Amino acid sequence: MSLLEVQNLRAYFHTRNGIVRAVDGVSFSVEKGETLGIVGESGSGKSVTCYSLMGLIPKPPGRIESGTARFDGADLLVMSEVELNQIRGKRIAMIFQDPMTSLNPYLRIEDQLIEPLLIHEKMPREEAVKRAIRALEEVGVPDAARRIRSYPHEFSGGMRQRVMIAMALITQPDLLIADEPTTALDVTVQAQILDLIARLQRERGMAVIWISHDLGVVAGFCRRVLVMYAGRVVESGRVEDIFARPLHPYNRALQRSIPALQGKGAELYTIPGLPPDVSKPLPACAFADRCEFAQSECRTGEVALKEIELGHASACMRVQRGELNL
Amino acid sequence: MKPIFLVATVGLGLALAGCKKSDSPAGSGSAQSAKKGDVKDAPSRIDGKMVLLRGNGAEPSDLDPQLVTGVPEHMILMGLFECLTGQDPKDLHPVPAAAERWEVSADQLTYTFYIRKNAQWSNGDAVTAHDFHRSYRRILEPTLAAQYAYMHHVVKGAQDYNEGKLKDFAQVGYKVVDDHTFQITLVGPTPYFLSLVNHTSWMPVHLPTVEKHGKAYERGSKWTRPENFVCNGPFTLAKWEVNQFISIVRNPKHWNAAAVKLDEIRFLPITDQATEERMFRDGKLHVTDTVPPTKIEVYQKNSPAYIRIDPYLANYFYRINVTKPPLNDKRVRQALALAIDREGIVKFVTKAGQIPAFNMTPPGTAGYTFRSSGSAGVAEAKKLLAAAGYPDGKGFPSVEILYNTQDTHRSVAEAIQQMWKQNLGIEVKLLNQEWKVYLDSQRQLNYQICRAGWTGDYVDPNTFLDMWLTGGGQNETGWGNKEYDRLITEAGRTADAAARLELFQKAEAILMDEMPILPIYFYTRSHLISPKVKGWHPTLLDLHPYEHLSLE
Amino acid sequence: MARFLFIRLLQTLPVLWAVATLTFFMVRYAPGGPFTAEKSIPPEILKRLEAHYGLDQPLGVQYLRFLKNLVTGREPSIRHANRTVGEIIRESFPVSLELGSWALLIALGIGLPAGMLAAQKPNTLQDYVPMSAAMVGVGLPTFVLGPLVVLLFALKFGWFNTSGWNAPSDRVLPAFTLGCHLAAYVARLTRGGMLEVMGQDFIRTARAKGASGWRILTRHAWRGGLLPVVTFLGPAAAGLITGSFVIETVFNIPGLGKYFVGSVFDRDIPVVGGTVFFFAALILFFNLLVDIAQAWLNPKVRLE
Ligand SMILES: Nc1ncnc2c1ncn2[C@@H]1O[C@H](COP(=O)(O)OP(=O)(O)O)[C@@H](O)[C@H]1O
Ligand SMILES: [Mg+2]
Repeated sequence: MSLLEVQNLRAYFHTRNGIVRAVDGVSFSVEKGETLGIVGESGSGKSVTCYSLMGLIPKPPGRIESGTARFDGADLLVMSEVELNQIRGKRIAMIFQDPMTSLNPYLRIEDQLIEPLLIHEKMPREEAVKRAIRALEEVGVPDAARRIRSYPHEFSGGMRQRVMIAMALITQPDLLIADEPTTALDVTVQAQILDLIARLQRERGMAVIWISHDLGVVAGFCRRVLVMYAGRVVESGRVEDIFARPLHPYNRALQRSIPALQGKGAELYTIPGLPPDVSKPLPACAFADRCEFAQSECRTGEVALKEIELGHASACMRVQRGELNL
Repeated sequence: MKPIFLVATVGLGLALAGCKKSDSPAGSGSAQSAKKGDVKDAPSRIDGKMVLLRGNGAEPSDLDPQLVTGVPEHMILMGLFECLTGQDPKDLHPVPAAAERWEVSADQLTYTFYIRKNAQWSNGDAVTAHDFHRSYRRILEPTLAAQYAYMHHVVKGAQDYNEGKLKDFAQVGYKVVDDHTFQITLVGPTPYFLSLVNHTSWMPVHLPTVEKHGKAYERGSKWTRPENFVCNGPFTLAKWEVNQFISIVRNPKHWNAAAVKLDEIRFLPITDQATEERMFRDGKLHVTDTVPPTKIEVYQKNSPAYIRIDPYLANYFYRINVTKPPLNDKRVRQALALAIDREGIVKFVTKAGQIPAFNMTPPGTAGYTFRSSGSAGVAEAKKLLAAAGYPDGKGFPSVEILYNTQDTHRSVAEAIQQMWKQNLGIEVKLLNQEWKVYLDSQRQLNYQICRAGWTGDYVDPNTFLDMWLTGGGQNETGWGNKEYDRLITEAGRTADAAARLELFQKAEAILMDEMPILPIYFYTRSHLISPKVKGWHPTLLDLHPYEHLSLE
Repeated sequence: MARFLFIRLLQTLPVLWAVATLTFFMVRYAPGGPFTAEKSIPPEILKRLEAHYGLDQPLGVQYLRFLKNLVTGREPSIRHANRTVGEIIRESFPVSLELGSWALLIALGIGLPAGMLAAQKPNTLQDYVPMSAAMVGVGLPTFVLGPLVVLLFALKFGWFNTSGWNAPSDRVLPAFTLGCHLAAYVARLTRGGMLEVMGQDFIRTARAKGASGWRILTRHAWRGGLLPVVTFLGPAAAGLITGSFVIETVFNIPGLGKYFVGSVFDRDIPVVGGTVFFFAALILFFNLLVDIAQAWLNPKVRLE
């Protein structure tokens, strides 16, 4: 049995300007100790997918319209707050994109770090503090015993993200959801954080869902990848397959826009057009408007994710019909 | 001439420390429900004592009778001090008080007062002629700068002394004949003199006490604090809780203490009419200071026994600045006066039984009622205005009515604005100013037409007419008339009562022909009053000597 | 901290001076004077009166004396003969302080929970009910609410006196009237502050850690959520404890508020100066308290 099994997840926001179909029928699974990458442009529904699992989307306006998310057999989507609170921060932990705003500015690092221990392990305070200092040392915060008494604003962005990681991992969770943890950081720090999470994952054997808008980052780190577009999965597969044989025009376009993969001097490719507005009616294949291969039935026909080769699925109907070789 | 009162009384020595328990000015006695309306009657006894609870307007500025100027202070001082003469409770005619009798010389210039031998100060000292002599010197001392010193100016030499022109007080017309005989010599015959001397400015003060707590002839003595206070009236000052209440209790040392029925009077400073009315309805007051205009009809309909509206010696009028066109033309002023529907104003605007006024002096003031030449109508007003060059109001320059910011004044001004527009076809603007700004504008003749009011200082036409003398301090219209001045001055020298009133008739006729003022109505005073209060008679000055009041 | 306080106190001096100066010249240049009355005073008397109160001296001399008296409070009032400004404030301030404190307590007691409740479930009944009440509270001036509660609770039910300041129960209606009005502001600010905080990323972090709603409120949200209330409360509290003219008039309470308005109408320069100066000093003092409270609530401020 998979650690996490998500089926047909739909999360909509009912706003004044219409229904935002942020996540519109997403299915995937994560095995114990596995690393799953989710990539896609900003706004494609990656974060909302994860927040839905954690019960963190604001309700209202958000609503889970359909789906199941079985974590160790129990459906996260129907759990009460009290039940969820026993899993959140204990068995599933999360790291957020912006370390500058994700820590409470009014509380000392210490109080925030030990909170999961106090909540979930009912640990005495002194012991929790000792654990917290060790956790800080593990993520590479120097002079941890002293700096644990600081407030978040006394830390740099990278250091804050390390604190976030230490805080997420302090209860030894089975699954870590990392929502673009490096996006807000500068490049050298990005690499350090990436290495840190990779190392900790290896040491602890936990599963990781790694979210990024950058295929390149995912490539070096994940075993399997989901490519999302407009709230749907358009391609999924092992990371080598995704790169070696893209099966969706969107995936191919994404790869062409990674600088490192392009030949020196080649002009950097950008996908034409704008990301779709998921609160408006979209063509059957949401990418059709920006796709160089689009045909009229792309806009009207049935679109569904289908396995094309073993463990490698695509939602492009032209690929499915064998008309395209990307 | 007057019956001599010789009432020897000994203070009852009754436990008078009337406020040993309840600090509440409204007491704790249970209140019964009234039969009509939803008014609760204030209790007639608090802890077994007869305590009158009275709304009293603004917080008194002081209780030094020679320095205060306001009505609230007057109301309290009436109980604390006794002048040479007192006032009859029904019509306020002078009656014996500190003086048990008096004599007037044939030329009406010399008054001899015989001070009763048993008159005492609240500290036990005898009240003597010396007390009056020293007190009257004090109020006239230039250094004291007493605002109401002018009330003494009828006395020979008083004005000169007050203005510093005369240095020797012995030359002023006050004379101690012996300990109990006090003589006053006047400048001219003053028929209202015996009424004048019971004004606050004629109250004696206990100078040793004044000097003990400050300087005798300067402001700032702390003698009026309750712990220092010495007085000679039927009541003494028991408590002064600032902005809460002033309590005066029966003075056992007073010569007439046995006749005083009230044990205590509490004066509550309440500036808000609506608050006062609610307190009255809740049985916390026997008498209010005022009635909110909106409540007059309600009480008249539902609880008529609880409201009193009585004529008052005051009038409501508009001053006209006669120094500037177009109002320097008497015909214009006359036209404006004729075009006001006074009946309409008192009936629909002010609504408290005011009397429409067509002249300055309230009718029946000390036997004087102005003989009106009969009032012409709007047609005449139009003719006058046309004669002045403004037929049907055409070409009439913009004119402004100034009033101090208050609802009633605004309503009256709006009504008059409307009447002038309708009757004369002229447009006037309204301008309201804060009280002191308005007073200042008025004083500086910085207005065209200006709302005004005047309350008589004593019951005599003179108090309404001598203010219009050319250049008089209260004139404030820029108007003056030689013949008018002559008539008023002559009236001040005339001993014969009938001849004197005739001079006033002539003078007022000039005033009403020249119209530097537009009379509108004569005031009334309205009170909410519990039917339990006995001995409260309508009087022109709204004064109700407390010796005669009681609670049923 | 001591240094911080000292500097802040030093900074207040020029403000106080400016307030005092402005007050002096404004009252001095307003038309009419302390002795302007319906019955005008003979000019000789007026001259001597002004001399007695030093109003005949050059403006500069008067101004300096005014400044000196602000500090000593020894100047006698003109309107209230025989009482110095210091005495007036000493007598009436305790009353206003007591009334204001009760009102503040009521305002916080009602406003904070109402605002918190509303912020818990925005745009639901739990939000609409207290917030509509707050709208009414803000919109309903005390001179309307005051008489209303008197009519109801004093005259109709007979539970309280209509006015006065004697029995302990006399505090209830005025404190309630004053407090209600303020409670409305507190509720709205609390709601706004709490909503703002509850939408912040770090609250999401706390939820992701498995913190309960209660824990989030009591550990994570309240400090930030209450900052606007605290900022508002400084000047509001200073205003509250120096008395409200309207409340004192409606309920006939011997507080300080009457003097603020009365002394201006009376052109009672010493009292105008004294009360305004006192009020300004209190505002500055409370703003200092606010700064301290903010520093305590918010570590970022503490550093700066
Ligand atoms: N609270 C919200 N209310 C309305 N729309 C939202 C909300 N949160 C996210 N969305 C919308 O959902 C869509 C997916 O957002 P998100 O999952 O954050 O994208 P990303 O892939 O960049 O993480 C976007 O169109 C976004 O505007
Ligand atoms: Mg995102």
